[in-house]
Amino acid sequence: MTKQTIRMGAGSGFWGDAMDPAMEMLEREPLDYLCFDFLAELTMALLQRQKTKDPAAGYVPDAVAYMKAMMPLAQRKGTRLISNGGGVNVAAAARQIAADAAALGLHGLKVGAVEGDDLLARMPELLASGLPLAHMDTGATGLADRAADVVSANVYTDSTGIVQALAQGADVVIAGRVSDNAVYVGPAVHAFGWRRDPAHADRIAAAVTLGHIVECAAGCTGGMSSRFADMPAMGRAGFPILEMDASGDCTITKTRGSGGRVDCDTVKEHLVYEIGDPREYLMPDGIADFTTIALAQVGEDRVRASGIRGRLPSGQLKLVVGLRDGWIGESMAFFPWPDPYDRAMKAKQTMLERFERLGLAGDAVHFDVIGLNMLHGEAAPRMSPQDANRLPELGLRCAVRTRSAAEADKVRRAAANLWIMGPGGTSFGTPIKPRPVVSLWPTLIPAHWVEQRVTMVEARQ
Amino acid sequence: MTQQPRQQAADRLVADIAYVRSGDKGDVCTAGLIAKRPEDYEALQASVTPDAVRVLYGGWLKGDVQCHRMDNIGAVVVVMRGALGGGATQTLRLDQTGKSFGHALLRLPVAAISREGGNP
Repeated sequence: MTKQTIRMGAGSGFWGDAMDPAMEMLEREPLDYLCFDFLAELTMALLQRQKTKDPAAGYVPDAVAYMKAMMPLAQRKGTRLISNGGGVNVAAAARQIAADAAALGLHGLKVGAVEGDDLLARMPELLASGLPLAHMDTGATGLADRAADVVSANVYTDSTGIVQALAQGADVVIAGRVSDNAVYVGPAVHAFGWRRDPAHADRIAAAVTLGHIVECAAGCTGGMSSRFADMPAMGRAGFPILEMDASGDCTITKTRGSGGRVDCDTVKEHLVYEIGDPREYLMPDGIADFTTIALAQVGEDRVRASGIRGRLPSGQLKLVVGLRDGWIGESMAFFPWPDPYDRAMKAKQTMLERFERLGLAGDAVHFDVIGLNMLHGEAAPRMSPQDANRLPELGLRCAVRTRSAAEADKVRRAAANLWIMGPGGTSFGTPIKPRPVVSLWPTLIPAHWVEQRVTMVEARQ
Repeated sequence: MTQQPRQQAADRLVADIAYVRSGDKGDVCTAGLIAKRPEDYEALQASVTPDAVRVLYGGWLKGDVQCHRMDNIGAVVVVMRGALGGGATQTLRLDQTGKSFGHALLRLPVAAISREGGNP
């Protein structure tokens, strides 16, 4: 019998998020599903690099650690755990979770591994296919010319595999690059028996929208808020919970007794986050029209979302190819009153002279004055040198794009030279190591290139 | 060089009438501006235009700008292309993901709107 309402918790908004709010939610709240997003655009390339060094790596370590910490209580409470933390080595993550479950005495626990998003091995075939593979943002073509630089290739996949794993009885589902909101759409499709047909398009669009609202966890419960001053106890912010009906209508709330807040404005703040045209929020599970959502406060920390409309997906999927693309060297130094602006300008001049002496070959050199224009650049109001010199302190940041790590390291060296060659009073933090650049090439491919696979792994004695 | 147009008589800034949240998608910065009060929504729409946004950011914004209305929640979504110095993974800026970048929109002056609420 299908349920009329399900409760889904958001357990993580990114790799590096706090674990205690998810644990607190699991302890205090009845939940059918606790869902975790661990992946950002760059994460797949980072994980692929780790896997190159160690074939057993390539998943998000936190994803496995979270499951280990939460499986015992989740099993007792009947909460199923779903994440996309499998990264580029879903099978290894699933095996580790099953081994941890066995060690915890959770014999018979089933882990569903959802794969199929990783097209790295098929890139030669894809590049030879005749597809344009145009860059979605710039329209550029010529990806094939960069074949030697490809480090990762993952498709944002829909919730089909998650639904399948749940149908096969998975207690824990671990996927690769499913869309962030697929970890919420999947349980809804499974629990309510929605079909991927026009009659269910609005309901799936509702789940896509609500998944978007909660996928950054505290992002809709007071985190990142313009009203930060009004948000209580954000250090113990509650993560959000969706109480979703089979109709797709939903109440958004959060862990009882936790910090933060849920009101129409905290929900709106996240609804508008990182979207393009709000009438066409394109996801592999469906296309949602965010201009159709109606929000109403229906209780303390409870917001009702209803009326969401949408369409079935287009049949094209977003593939993001990671390309090795040089290095960045970066430095920061800080200067005290009096005349912090003049000190910063002298330090900039000295660094440029050092770059010349060191023979730095950079593609681009960028300076910011920290405290004046680092965040808003030309949109920051200009301050006269006289006024800037009266400030208590300023900083100078430098970043240089280079082709090699050795060139990027010259930025660190030039900044270290400032320790004695620089203006009086110059203060430094820890030197910043050069970092490799992976540029991302998002493109569209026909959905038939991707076939999700589900493998069940059982915790055995 | 010094310019402080802010406190001229009754001048209001978008900061006075809207909340903002911004982030990234590649080299695109997207910012949602939400009217603090329903009665400020039309003024917000009138104030945040592609031209005004381009002028504000100058050389830090290379591509085109679109402003999308969300009448249902009293918000405008600003999509700025070529706004992040190449995108989070390649940019030489500190604010790689545009979390701060969009807050500069709060500096736009609030445009006067007619009593009829007309809005181009």
